[in-house]
Amino acid sequence: MKRAADVLLVAVLLAAAATALLAAGPALSAGEALSALVGSGTSEARTIVFGLRLPRLTLGLAVGAALALAGAALQALLSNPLADPFLLGISGGGAAAATAAFAALPAMALGLVPAAAMGGAALATGLVWWMARGPLGPSSTRMILAGVAVNAAASAVILTILSVAPSPRLPGALAVTMGSLASASGPTVAWLAPYVLVPAFVLLLHGRDLGLLATGEESAAGLGVEVATVRRRVFLASAALCGGAVAFAGVIGFVGLVVPHLCRLVWGHGTRRLLPRAAIAGAALMVLGDLIAHRALAPAELPVGVVTALLGVPFFIALLRRAP
Amino acid sequence: MTLLEARELSGGYGADDVVRRVDLTVTEGQCVGVLGPNGAGKSTLLRLLAGILPTTSGMVELIGRPLATWRRREVARVIGFVPQAVSFAFPLTVAEVVQQGRAPHLGPWRPPAPRDHAAVAAAIARVGLSGRETTAVQRLSGGERQLVLLARALASEPRLLLLDEPATALDVRHQLELVAILRALVRSGVGVVLVLHDWNLALRLADRLVILKGGQVSAVGAPAEVVRPDLFREVFGVEIALVPEPGGVPLIVARSSSGMSRQGE
Repeated sequence: MKRAADVLLVAVLLAAAATALLAAGPALSAGEALSALVGSGTSEARTIVFGLRLPRLTLGLAVGAALALAGAALQALLSNPLADPFLLGISGGGAAAATAAFAALPAMALGLVPAAAMGGAALATGLVWWMARGPLGPSSTRMILAGVAVNAAASAVILTILSVAPSPRLPGALAVTMGSLASASGPTVAWLAPYVLVPAFVLLLHGRDLGLLATGEESAAGLGVEVATVRRRVFLASAALCGGAVAFAGVIGFVGLVVPHLCRLVWGHGTRRLLPRAAIAGAALMVLGDLIAHRALAPAELPVGVVTALLGVPFFIALLRRAP
Repeated sequence: MTLLEARELSGGYGADDVVRRVDLTVTEGQCVGVLGPNGAGKSTLLRLLAGILPTTSGMVELIGRPLATWRRREVARVIGFVPQAVSFAFPLTVAEVVQQGRAPHLGPWRPPAPRDHAAVAAAIARVGLSGRETTAVQRLSGGERQLVLLARALASEPRLLLLDEPATALDVRHQLELVAILRALVRSGVGVVLVLHDWNLALRLADRLVILKGGQVSAVGAPAEVVRPDLFREVFGVEIALVPEPGGVPLIVARSSSGMSRQGE
């Protein structure tokens, strides 16, 4: 049954990707898009497919996988089913730093925005951890409250910057808070790749350790996990994934929360099995969410963060009601 | 053969040492019981012995090599550590939890092989939870969860078991089963260090008792040497009576707290 679910998951991902490439808008028929994809077709069609749709698809896949993977890893690391980059303020911290970078850096240095976002995400992660940690390890309640505090601080920073930033920089700064894949281009995708691939590898490498950490630090240490090392790596990798996602697609909530739990319903709670599947499911969900955001109110376009929030909030409430 | 040896071991949390200058040795096929009042440092001592807490002074040797030079995964292949309780944030099944015991033998990528599945099945059978493999641990009673944690440690096929109050939540029948399981392990050569509150259980299990008070060793020796009314008065502040039993191991009955006012009696 789980093998069938694996096949279905890959099929959904491929179907979402094909739809995004072939039927993402009224400008091209699916046939024209397909011709362009195989190298024939008009130059206009090729520009749309390779210059717009393919980068947007790749960005969606990368951001969805990054957020879902970070969420699944943080839930295990913190033994907290409600852990999510958005709720814990990690995305908020990244967004505040990215907004500040947009506003303050000279135009030629804007390539540093992801690094700033990653730094902000790492700082927020450290703050939440520091606030949540008690004598008996991190407390779930304190952690969520710490996330609320960090999110509030990040919002305050972002609003202050938006109020005082020089006006030509406003659109870039504002886009960070919206959550959208509209800024995708070939170069952005190339920039994002290391921010996703390296930390994703680190998290997958520690999949088994994370499964043990989900039962607490003492228990994990007793089973051979180098707790301090793994915790540091997983925090940094999660911050890099969230920072990268925020820098290129803005704050997109609830993917990191919902996707791992949906995968748990199908594949169980073993973290090592869960991580790669959460990444694939997150990628698929983000591409589908972006298609909805793109097409639901066409020609107007919703930020994809709105769609993921509309899907995620009811799920979050259900989860909260079920939590022991 | 000596499995674990601690000399002048001190350690704790933050600036204060909870455990101070403790000596302790466990050989193959030996069961050492650690007893003492609440807050005496028993659990801390166990964490120091397992290398989970760093020592502040003194040293621990595992099979003749300083514990600090071992990698954690190597330690976990030799020492099965059973914590008092574990937080199950996610509804793992019994089999999934016991499977975690094989983690020290698997690398980051290798999936469990038939040999690992066999060790898991044997460990589950040994604690009497066969047939419950797919039950979520959150649905088990406190005592059954302790058995699952014991099975998880057994699945790693350790040479030394460190158990932190494994019998606290067990009913009488399960306590006796625990005694039988641990005795069989000790007979097969496994070393055991056991933190307990139940003296009568300790007398029936341990070859050697270590009594802690205020983080220091108050008494150490064979059960017959250690079970003395004056020691109980000094360490626990209680008066005891020793009731002879046919098997030779007496029953300990606490009669009154020596520091307590007798007016209420």
